[in-house]
Amino acid sequence: MRKRIPDLIKKLLFYEILQGLALTFRTMLKPPVTRQYPRERCEPKPGFRGRHAFVRDAVTGREKCVACQKCSIVCPSRCISIRYETDGKGVRHLTKYEIDALRCIFCGYCESICPVCAIVLTEVFEYASYSRQGFVYDRERLLMNWDDFATKLKRPFYFNMFWRPAGSDPRRLSVGKRQQQPIRIQQQAESSKVNVDRNIATTAMDEKTPATEVGK
Amino acid sequence: MEPVGVAGTESRKELTLNMGPQHPATHGVLRLTLDLDGEVVTGCTPHVGYLHRGIEKLAESRTWHGVMPLTDRLDYIASAGNNIGYCLAVERLFGIEVPDRAKYLRTIVFEMSRISSHLLWLATHALDIGAMTVFLYCFREREWLLDIFETICGARLTVSYPRIGGVLQDMEPAVLESLDAFTRMFPGKILEYETMIDKNRIWLDRTQGVGVISARDALRWGLTGPTLRGSGVMYDLRRDVPYDAYDRVDFDVPLGSNGDVYDRYRCRMEELRQSNRILRQCIAALPQGDILSANTPDLDIPLMGKKELVPEMSLGNASIAFGDVLPVAPKGEIYSAVEAPKGELGLYLMSDGSGNPCRMRVRSPSYVHAGALAKMCEGGFIADVIAVIGSIDIVMGECDR
Repeated sequence: MRKRIPDLIKKLLFYEILQGLALTFRTMLKPPVTRQYPRERCEPKPGFRGRHAFVRDAVTGREKCVACQKCSIVCPSRCISIRYETDGKGVRHLTKYEIDALRCIFCGYCESICPVCAIVLTEVFEYASYSRQGFVYDRERLLMNWDDFATKLKRPFYFNMFWRPAGSDPRRLSVGKRQQQPIRIQQQAESSKVNVDRNIATTAMDEKTPATEVGK
Repeated sequence: MEPVGVAGTESRKELTLNMGPQHPATHGVLRLTLDLDGEVVTGCTPHVGYLHRGIEKLAESRTWHGVMPLTDRLDYIASAGNNIGYCLAVERLFGIEVPDRAKYLRTIVFEMSRISSHLLWLATHALDIGAMTVFLYCFREREWLLDIFETICGARLTVSYPRIGGVLQDMEPAVLESLDAFTRMFPGKILEYETMIDKNRIWLDRTQGVGVISARDALRWGLTGPTLRGSGVMYDLRRDVPYDAYDRVDFDVPLGSNGDVYDRYRCRMEELRQSNRILRQCIAALPQGDILSANTPDLDIPLMGKKELVPEMSLGNASIAFGDVLPVAPKGEIYSAVEAPKGELGLYLMSDGSGNPCRMRVRSPSYVHAGALAKMCEGGFIADVIAVIGSIDIVMGECDR
């Protein structure tokens, strides 16, 4: 009986509900954890699997793809289509490379398998288009995606974690992956600027594309 | 024909009510047809298939590696658990031994996914019953785990972090430190959730004695996971059939006794603590070494092996005939199960030696639990149906596959 009386008082005073309310009030005084998204941006972590891009080669100013078709083979959603021509020496030249981003499930297998570190999933996660065709990324569009990503990147170097995953056995990696150095972003931005000046058509396309305008 | 709606008649009529597929408290696209006598549920028929994507059929045309991102989409709240379940099945089928470090890393991500799944369950379950604050608190802690997932594999929900024969990449010391900080912070947070609802009389009234299923019935309906343990049956695959590093960590399996919504809730809350304990042990005992087994098949495993060359001996035909196709993977079939956050996630795989599974079948806990909904709901009030659905922690992505 003696033990029951405090229980009764607790019950009458709504003790457990008051406890909960006390916690709520304590939490109210703490700084909020909610991010006000369009105004407060969160930076995706390095290696985030976002919009696709072709790494622009600093030497040639073009993509590094060698048309080995490995990415289109491993792709679980089969969203990559590749066409190539073989010249007299047996070297493949890419004629068409298309990624249907609406089909893509962003598993990162393509960047895992790419032997020359050509295709990457960048950290861009906010992109939109008014048409389905705006999500079919061809070669030019993939290079533009890279420029768009590289100019906005805040780190001085870019190295995709799928190129050499930490702790992976180097014997399982291709030569191109083993030799890949971190890409200096400042250089990339400059080279892309030169390229854009040279190619007016590309810039015109860039302005038309509403992809990067969303959420500004 | 019976007279309908005549004023003054005292005929009792049963009402059939469609709950779902678009109902905020049915956790996805679950549709229940409820037979109501007043406010009392007399019959309950679950309808599934609104989220059917044919993952099992799709798997037959994907390579062994290519199936793994599909398993992300089963129980999309704890996708790392599905990945590990699938990878374990393939490893057992192929006879691949996973390195120690990878085993520990997998156990870590499995428990991380269990905690994030249970946090989401608690959040939505509490929200269904009317406790809004818990919902916000749970998402606050879940964010920390999702950030860790994002760091280690580049995605927050559809992680694809494990690989057949190991994991994608090693965890950096900074990640482990962040996880360690989480495990130190988390027990206090569990106490916070319990302060909000554990003894709250509204919560007790809504959950105690509601949706009761006896241990015998629970076994007969094939329930697994916390839903079964809430009824007092000791069955946990982590303890009974240890995989990865579960045989090297020390943890308790919480048990309920009454088999009602409250006991299932208590089981999951205790599981949060135990998962936290497992995480701490794994971080402390993480061995050095490889993260991927040496005999893992390559990511670009060919769909078919090369054909055996047999020289044609007949005169006049100097060509070479093709013999049998060489297998690229061991043949056989296997059923392998893991203790996913929702219950026993079983994968039945059949290999005919080619680069893709001949057949994949998923025994998903949510599908089995959806069947037992009728048993738990009948005789209760219509408002309790919501509590029962929350307490079995159903995810339609896994249920419909």
